[in-house]
Amino acid sequence: MKLKGLSKYLYVYKTQIIRCFTYKFEVYGNILMQSIIMITSAFFWRALYRTGNPVAGVDVEGMLTYIIISAMMSVLLITNVERRIENSVQKGTIAMDMMKPLNIFGIYLVEDLGSITALVFQNLLPIFLVGSLLVKVPTICSTEHIPLFAISMLMSFFINWLIAALFGMWSFTAVNVDALIQVKKHLIRLLSGSIIPMWFFPDWFRNILEALPFVYIYQLPLDIYIGKSSGDELAGMMMIQFVWLIILLIAFAYVARRATKKVLVQGG
Amino acid sequence: MFGKFLKELWHYIDVTICNIKMALMMIIEYPANLAGWMISNPIQFILGFATIKFVVEQFGEINGWNYGQLAFLYGLSVISHALSMIFFVQGWFMGWFVIEGDFDRYLTRPLGVMYQFFFTNINIFGITDLIPGICVFIYGCVKSGFEWSILKAIAIIVMLIGATLIRGGIYIMLGTTSFFTKSPMDFGQYTQEIVDKTTMYPISMYPESMQFVLTYLIPIGWVSFYPVSGLLGIGDSSYFGTSAAFMTLLVGLIVMLVAGAFFRLGLKGYESAGN
Repeated sequence: MKLKGLSKYLYVYKTQIIRCFTYKFEVYGNILMQSIIMITSAFFWRALYRTGNPVAGVDVEGMLTYIIISAMMSVLLITNVERRIENSVQKGTIAMDMMKPLNIFGIYLVEDLGSITALVFQNLLPIFLVGSLLVKVPTICSTEHIPLFAISMLMSFFINWLIAALFGMWSFTAVNVDALIQVKKHLIRLLSGSIIPMWFFPDWFRNILEALPFVYIYQLPLDIYIGKSSGDELAGMMMIQFVWLIILLIAFAYVARRATKKVLVQGG
Repeated sequence: MFGKFLKELWHYIDVTICNIKMALMMIIEYPANLAGWMISNPIQFILGFATIKFVVEQFGEINGWNYGQLAFLYGLSVISHALSMIFFVQGWFMGWFVIEGDFDRYLTRPLGVMYQFFFTNINIFGITDLIPGICVFIYGCVKSGFEWSILKAIAIIVMLIGATLIRGGIYIMLGTTSFFTKSPMDFGQYTQEIVDKTTMYPISMYPESMQFVLTYLIPIGWVSFYPVSGLLGIGDSSYFGTSAAFMTLLVGLIVMLVAGAFFRLGLKGYESAGN
């Protein structure tokens, strides 16, 4: 019985991967654009680090590794769940999704996983190659950090996905959530350390950020990767990451139950 | 002849006013959405600006640009971004119009296709970008000790028009590629990220090869760097003085002309989606 449900999800997963391989041009366009962005930021940080001295305890090599890994992580952290929910609510197809013999959020999660699987080949590996050839090979600071990075990355994926899903569920009441999705995008873009690491921020600002979930999406896994934090400090950070995951999971379960109860179908 | 031209112009203005009215009505359709934009766009620029402050605090001056001057540069860059968002943001979504056959509607109407494409969906929300831009710009003026004169004020307005045209032209060109590839590629986010790093920081910090590209091939350098360094008198390009702003307008017009020609070429190959 349980296995049967799983094979249905697998089918959704497979369909999504096939769908993602439809547009070839898009793939090349993405690779080109992301490479340009990565090389631009490499130039940017090289220019800032012209004196050669480490700033905030990180040298230019660490910073370059940081941006390459950050670019690769951003591929794994692409979510479509918020747009998917919004579209389904606006067009009324949410009713069809809910009639399927699967949990709708399960479907959305599996769809996102399918897209990411396709993107690993379409984006992540090309970015890695371009980064390694043109900027530097992003090596991890020590092999001991590999499992820690993997665990932290997994938690970061779910934190990111749950935040996206929570914003998406807003459309059950607000219907049009384009702007809210933008709010979320900017918060994550600027407060998670994906572009500018928070070491450069003043202490008071960093303390605020450490209390919010965003830094646990990009900054913490990246810190582990380049060896910026270790020991007790790292263990503490990972604990907070775990706590945020649990908080978001509870919030998600609560909101999901309430939201799906009062679905508003616009004549779908 | 001239009378006919005036009549046509008046017709276009009339249609534009109508479109703006409709756009305003559409905005209030979803109040939560409006509130969201009012929060999200200022947040983006406040955080972006804070980032510059923190970076300058850590690294010191960037290529001879101090904090006040960077604020000035950033403010003007955000203002031209906002203007390009109001008038030309549709370029980002051109791909969807192509694959869904939405150009059919515009082709059958007796108005310019490009005019209709950009003004039927004029993006009034862009004002939420404009306000933080103006705030940062005023702050930058004070911090950098900018001395106002009538000539400089004119130069700033001219430069903003030129910068908006350059940005708009680039969006149109990227969007037009969809006519050839038949795919709904949305370059918006990527372009934004690249343009952010090249208009909000001085491009003199990049290697010469990249500066060359940004000056002559993809003239993003003219959006903010050259005119602002002319106005503030920083670096080698300061010998341009205020005239750099007029160069920006010229570059903007050229980019727009090229983009327009490219768009026409793309439209020729347009085949509907079979509606």
